[in-house]
Amino acid sequence: MARGDGEFVEFAQAATARLVHAAFLMTGDHHRAEDAAQTALVRTYASWSRIRDDDAYGYARRVLVNHLVDGWRRPLREYPTEEVPEQRRDDVADEVVTRRWLTAILGALSPRERAIVVLRYYFDLPEAQVARELAISVGTVKSTSSRALEKLRAAGPSAADNQEARR
Amino acid sequence: MNELDRLRDAMRATERSAPTLDLVAVIREGRRLRTRRRIAGVGVATLATALAAIVVMVAVGARPGEPPPVDRPPPVAVSPTPKSEEPTPPPSTPPPKPLGRIVDSGVRHGADQRVYYVVQVSVPGQPRVSIGLAAGRRAPDGTLTTDILVNDVEGADRSPGFHQIGYDERSAAAPVPAFGYFVGPAQRIVGTVDGRQVDARLARWSLDKQVVIFWFEPAELTPGQRLDGIIARDGSGRRL
Repeated sequence: MARGDGEFVEFAQAATARLVHAAFLMTGDHHRAEDAAQTALVRTYASWSRIRDDDAYGYARRVLVNHLVDGWRRPLREYPTEEVPEQRRDDVADEVVTRRWLTAILGALSPRERAIVVLRYYFDLPEAQVARELAISVGTVKSTSSRALEKLRAAGPSAADNQEARR
Repeated sequence: MNELDRLRDAMRATERSAPTLDLVAVIREGRRLRTRRRIAGVGVATLATALAAIVVMVAVGARPGEPPPVDRPPPVAVSPTPKSEEPTPPPSTPPPKPLGRIVDSGVRHGADQRVYYVVQVSVPGQPRVSIGLAAGRRAPDGTLTTDILVNDVEGADRSPGFHQIGYDERSAAAPVPAFGYFVGPAQRIVGTVDGRQVDARLARWSLDKQVVIFWFEPAELTPGQRLDGIIARDGSGRRL
């Protein structure tokens, strides 16, 4: 293993879960999400000597998001019968409900809206940074976010609401 | 809790433990990619501009704080894999040779023409990928300088539909209008950006008329600006 590979492995192990989840939020597809995360890590490794002391995670995130945004023309597939990790039964039920709600509402958004929602509200990036990372204007980020949130509101009650209603 | 907070919570609550990615494969592929970037960086430069070759090599392989457009894979060239991780010495690799006729876009950079042309590529383990599309400049004396080369890195380069789209990376001496190719009977290709529709210019590849080379006029789509969507239509307006 070359010098720096150990650091990269440590970085990859720490970053993988979030990268894969972000990709899942953008695609609704676990298989594609893992592929995208792997692609992002390959490209991050290829630039590792340059970015290791900078913002490696930010670099990997930008690679991931751009990779998925540029791949918008490929059909998105949904995998409704996904595996769930071993958890307590109640937790599993809650997560399944939340995941279904999330998949449904994110599925109503365009690829760009999904990307903006994930960058803004999952990664908590400011609008200006979202604009830079997607090579679009801040105005477009604002208007698209607003449109996306309108769609979310129109999509109906959240899982949390459903759970409260069942109690 | 408002809708936005619920969305945030839901996105976080559905996080799972990290899947097991094959990091050995990641490192192996990352090394290959790094090598290809370096070789391609050398390959895209003309012999007359050795200094520019080094600049392009750095630009393709390393852009501080800004990853390259990642759906457009790095150009691929065939060469023995160097054992060293140091950059390959410039510039012994000849520029890619056009296959078929060169397409003049009508865009001018001073005296140079913006041109597009198909070149041969080789991607390890991908026997059905043998061509890529280059954006270059042709000088009055006919000298070609390749700015960006895009090619598939998996699948088949002649599969129906859109293939890789190349965007300006600010690594070339002149801005590169967005370009790509579509395989099929497209008569019209329309991109969408910020809710606006932009028609692409089209030209068929002389060696395979199913390959439709397209590009966007810089006045219509600023080089480097990414499309939100793109569609192709046949002669009767049907979406392909």
